[in-house]
Amino acid sequence: MATGRRSELAKQYVLKTWRDMTAMNVSLGTMLHNRTGSWRAIRPVYEDKIPTCQNACPVGNDIEGWLRLLEQRKYKEAYWHLKREEPFPAILGRVCFKFCENACNRSALDRNIDINDLECFLGDWVSSSEPHPLIRAGNGKTLAVVGSGPAGMSASYFARLLGFNVTIFEKYPSPGGILRVGIPAYRLPREVVDAEFLGLQGMGIELRTNTLIGRDISLRELASRFDYIFLGTGAHRSLPSGLEGDGIGDEVMSGLTLLNRVALGEKVALGRQVVVIGGGNTAIDAARSAIRLGSEVTVVYRRSEAEMPAHPEEVLSAREEGVQFRFLAAPERVIRSETGGIDTLLCCEMALGAPDESGRKQPIKKDGSSFPINAQTIVTAIGEEPDLENFDGLPLNRDRTVDVDNGLSIPFYAGWSARIYAGGDIINIPRTVAHAVASGKRAAIAIDCDRRGEDFPSALEKIKVGQGPALSFSLYMGWDDFNPSPRNNRTVVDSKLIVYDYFQKDPQLEKSVRAKSRRAVSFEPCRLPLSEKDVHFESQRCMHCGRCTHCDNCLIFCPDVSILDKSEGTSGYFIDYEYCKGCGICSTECPRQAITMVSESTDHCEEG
Amino acid sequence: MKRAIKGNHAVSYGVKLSRVEVISAYPITPQTTVIEEISEMCANGDLKARFIKVESEHSAMSALVGASTAGVRTFTATSGNGLLLMHEVLHWAAGARLPIVLTNVNRAVSGVWNIWADQTDSLAQRDTGWIQIYCESSQEVLDGIITAYKLAEAVHLPVMITYDAFFLSHTTEVVDIPEAKEVDEFLPPYSPPFFCNFEDPRMFGGFVSTDYFYEHRYAMQRSSLDALSQYQRICEEFARIFGRSYDTVEEYRTEDADLILVTAGTISSVSRITVDRFREKGHKVGLMKLRMFRPAPLDKWRKVLGRADKVVVIDRNQSIGLGGVFASEIQMALYPLERHPRIYPVVAGLGGRDVTPEDVEGIVNHALSTDKQAGAPLYWGLKQ
Amino acid sequence: MQKLISIPREVMVEEELMLPGMTSCQGCGAALAMKIALKGLGKRTIVVFPACCFAVFVGSYPHTSLNVPIVHCPFETAAVVASGVSAALDMREEKDVVVMVWAGDGGTFDIGIQSLSGAAERNENILYVCYDNEAYMNTGIQRSSATPIGAWTTTTPAGSIKEEPKKDIEQIMLAHHITYMATASPAYPDDMFWKFKKARRITGMKFIHLLSPCPPGWRIDPGKSVQAARMATQSKIFPIYEVRRWRFSKSKEHFQDDWEFTLNVLPEREVSVGEYMKSQGRFQLATGAMISDVQERVDRKWENLLQKTGNKATKTI
Repeated sequence: MATGRRSELAKQYVLKTWRDMTAMNVSLGTMLHNRTGSWRAIRPVYEDKIPTCQNACPVGNDIEGWLRLLEQRKYKEAYWHLKREEPFPAILGRVCFKFCENACNRSALDRNIDINDLECFLGDWVSSSEPHPLIRAGNGKTLAVVGSGPAGMSASYFARLLGFNVTIFEKYPSPGGILRVGIPAYRLPREVVDAEFLGLQGMGIELRTNTLIGRDISLRELASRFDYIFLGTGAHRSLPSGLEGDGIGDEVMSGLTLLNRVALGEKVALGRQVVVIGGGNTAIDAARSAIRLGSEVTVVYRRSEAEMPAHPEEVLSAREEGVQFRFLAAPERVIRSETGGIDTLLCCEMALGAPDESGRKQPIKKDGSSFPINAQTIVTAIGEEPDLENFDGLPLNRDRTVDVDNGLSIPFYAGWSARIYAGGDIINIPRTVAHAVASGKRAAIAIDCDRRGEDFPSALEKIKVGQGPALSFSLYMGWDDFNPSPRNNRTVVDSKLIVYDYFQKDPQLEKSVRAKSRRAVSFEPCRLPLSEKDVHFESQRCMHCGRCTHCDNCLIFCPDVSILDKSEGTSGYFIDYEYCKGCGICSTECPRQAITMVSESTDHCEEG
Repeated sequence: MKRAIKGNHAVSYGVKLSRVEVISAYPITPQTTVIEEISEMCANGDLKARFIKVESEHSAMSALVGASTAGVRTFTATSGNGLLLMHEVLHWAAGARLPIVLTNVNRAVSGVWNIWADQTDSLAQRDTGWIQIYCESSQEVLDGIITAYKLAEAVHLPVMITYDAFFLSHTTEVVDIPEAKEVDEFLPPYSPPFFCNFEDPRMFGGFVSTDYFYEHRYAMQRSSLDALSQYQRICEEFARIFGRSYDTVEEYRTEDADLILVTAGTISSVSRITVDRFREKGHKVGLMKLRMFRPAPLDKWRKVLGRADKVVVIDRNQSIGLGGVFASEIQMALYPLERHPRIYPVVAGLGGRDVTPEDVEGIVNHALSTDKQAGAPLYWGLKQ
Repeated sequence: MQKLISIPREVMVEEELMLPGMTSCQGCGAALAMKIALKGLGKRTIVVFPACCFAVFVGSYPHTSLNVPIVHCPFETAAVVASGVSAALDMREEKDVVVMVWAGDGGTFDIGIQSLSGAAERNENILYVCYDNEAYMNTGIQRSSATPIGAWTTTTPAGSIKEEPKKDIEQIMLAHHITYMATASPAYPDDMFWKFKKARRITGMKFIHLLSPCPPGWRIDPGKSVQAARMATQSKIFPIYEVRRWRFSKSKEHFQDDWEFTLNVLPEREVSVGEYMKSQGRFQLATGAMISDVQERVDRKWENLLQKTGNKATKTI
């Protein structure tokens, strides 16, 4: 009865004479002949939408999708679903800024889902040696990726899936870019990075280390050998601090230099007291590394804590490990002792003025407020810019990042046989690993559009997710989703649209973290992995914003018995539009806004 | 089996013999002993029935609407204001075509408050669709109940049996109480065409629009008129089994009467004495006792009364602003005749005011004395 | 994990006892409630309707919308007509049948209260459900004694907004010592389902006071109908609880009544009475004094209820 035409069972009785009336006034038939669907002005349709987590992710990670599979304990399926959009869960599951968690609608109820930990779990679960099931047949075109940092890795990954023949060129002996020489091992173990590259090579991507493009092979030479080039060399040149001795010897060094040398296994002699100047992740990474090398560390930042670009969790960890912080202070000059070594850093106090062009309040020096901090080593981490000395004549922005068009293509090289693209910290994007991965993905799609002669902006429109800039690679590839419900890729379901009454608060998950006392003395990873039990507990907290989970609310709450179970073998529900009055209760009571009320067309109502 | 019983108790026996299954009632003088006796019968198992002691007469009839729809034989008894309180539900029961039987002790309607014999209460229900039978004796009442069920279940309309307050309800008469076996032969168990069941769930009494209400009401009219011939058939069968004959009217010495008295209820007993007295004196006087009042047996009335010169109707009731109800309906019945008898409407005995043979004599004398037809009723016995 | 509505799935998708095609308004709370109620009660149910919205929209002759027998009755008589049906079923020896009255607030609180009181005092074996949309909605939104303080209706228009408090039908029914009294709401369909399923097996008078949001009468969007009912419970204006009367004997000569109060739904979140009222158009003219009055009454009733449920709000659903 559920999916048949119930109105066909209806018979309207029309009595012709008084003799047709029964002796007692009893009914003869049902009201099914009264097709109340004609009352409607609006009708409900099932339409999956974009949850805030996916919308916030620069990469466009379909988090809800793999969380759903994870909840069902289908780890492998969850992993490969994740990999459709985000190539490196083991890495991002450790170092991402967690835009998704900040946007998670669940925080309005109790706390956000620990998406990052769950991603890390998945990343570790499946070996990188598993063959990738989604590589397209070769399309005959070649791509050279310069730089094996997250942007280059991402561009290689997606280009490979698109069928390109990909070669990565890396100047250092070990690949990974910032992942290897910038982010310390206690945040991102080396083995994880190594495993990721094994995976990339397993996909058929060639890796050439110890090769510096611009010196070993010129860019023009590369352009003659490859159809496409992707520049992903990052921003590894530290901005000068202006302090005396900056860049000479070990007394005043950049944060990146410190991290670099630690990563490469070199011995670094730091003073007993170290001052780190800066408020970004590099500064914190440097500070936490310095603590592990045995120094007392103070971080000096010219704005207040609220304006620090570093991730708050990192700052908290730094504090727990003993790093001291001095806010609203800026270095003036270095003071040496009689023996010649640095002894003190003279700083001055700052006050916050009106916001500058970045939107943050501008620090203004307070006259006559100098004060000393004892230190023997000064680490400067006040910003980085791309090191472009090996590439001649690239068009640059004011901040010395490379100027690219909307498709990440560098128009300057129009005359060359290869098209040149760029992504990651070399261009003007927010400086996070996730953004770098996103730009690699975007570039790969732009390159493929160029190969096919398709207009990239139109393609972009079709695959944009939410409010952008997230992109759906699955949409671009035309892959079927395991969730076959029709999807509206633009509407984002924010917390106002979630019916929290259908969820109950959960107790806090006891996450295991390495003991504080042990942390500060070793470069072993701080965060311990979640147990399967905790993974299950956490994954089932996901509210699946915007995506129908067949909770039956709509079926139960329809006052006109017009939402019925679909028959075997199909998904979702059957809306009997012959009777649906368009009241909208189903849409309001859907906990996750998976039903949209749309205006009734002027056509007659059809079966849904 | 002959027993000397009170009028009210004749009702109780009628109910018991009819194997009524659900009774609901509310006490009101002078009906109370009806339900007291029935309560005892239920309590000692003589009568296997559920007796719902409701909190008002309106509820009494409503309970039966429910019970009857669910497919059982039902009964209630009331009087006067109690009947008036049921008025809405009487309409409903008839409209729902339920074969409910009610006995009404004819009692005056309040305000002002009077508990004695007066027929205005049941006559005020004449438009409800209920079949109405007026009784003169306890035997008639008992027999009336049994035949009422058979009639109600045949035409799907409810029936009310009425009889006078105190004159009949509280006086003792000899009544021949039939054997249960004989009654069972005459009146089989109730077998409704529709009742609440789950294999064939129906809606009873639903909302009827302008499309069908008219036909529904017409069907009621047809069934009611059909009751006239059905009643005759039923009474013939009753006579065969029990030896007592009934009809829609009872004639007494009307065959050659010049003047016919028309009465209903206990005034008929009194009037019979008067008829005999006049006959002794050489006047050709007769009596037509009204039994079935609804449906109105117009043809019968015309047939019996059409022959006479004068018709005297005694109404122990009044429709304020018009006069006696029986008189007005008799006049309406006679209107189509080529030749009318002269009508002498009389109102007497309201609120239990005694009507003696002498009173009836006076009324007849009045009618004999003048040929002028009264425009308005004669109010016999009024203090003026 | 979502708090799934715990009605067994096979019951929800099996053959319906209520069919579409009814002329109920969009978003009608009563229609939804009947659907759930019949799921709990099953096929062997007879429904008695007095004059009310449902009696009209369930179907016009000769068509019906329910796959169970229906007996229509005069406005004020539902409880006693049901008593009659119940008595008849006894005489016909029909076992395991439930006779349910489905009456509006008008037919229960006002004109129907006499027959309800009579049936309650006799502890008739019927299930009386009052679906309360808080006014005479069928006839066009006139006030009843169930209309709450501060509500606009056509007979309490601007300038004479209802000031009298809502009649406490729950206390009235308890005063009759009936066997079972409960409140229910279509916003909590699993509680409703299990309550009706349980009520079926109880012998004696059962009364369920059911909140029935009415979009045209309450001046709310039809889609917000269930949400309005939920907010009524969250604001404690309509707590969901049940009362069972037990008769037990200490000895052959000594019988005693005991009352067991159970709170069934703990509100997921707190909503103030003011917030509840302001979300509905009918309360837009309610004064601050009226809102405080209602809040005070609600708080008092809630305290009382907490005490009766053993000073703990135990969630059973």
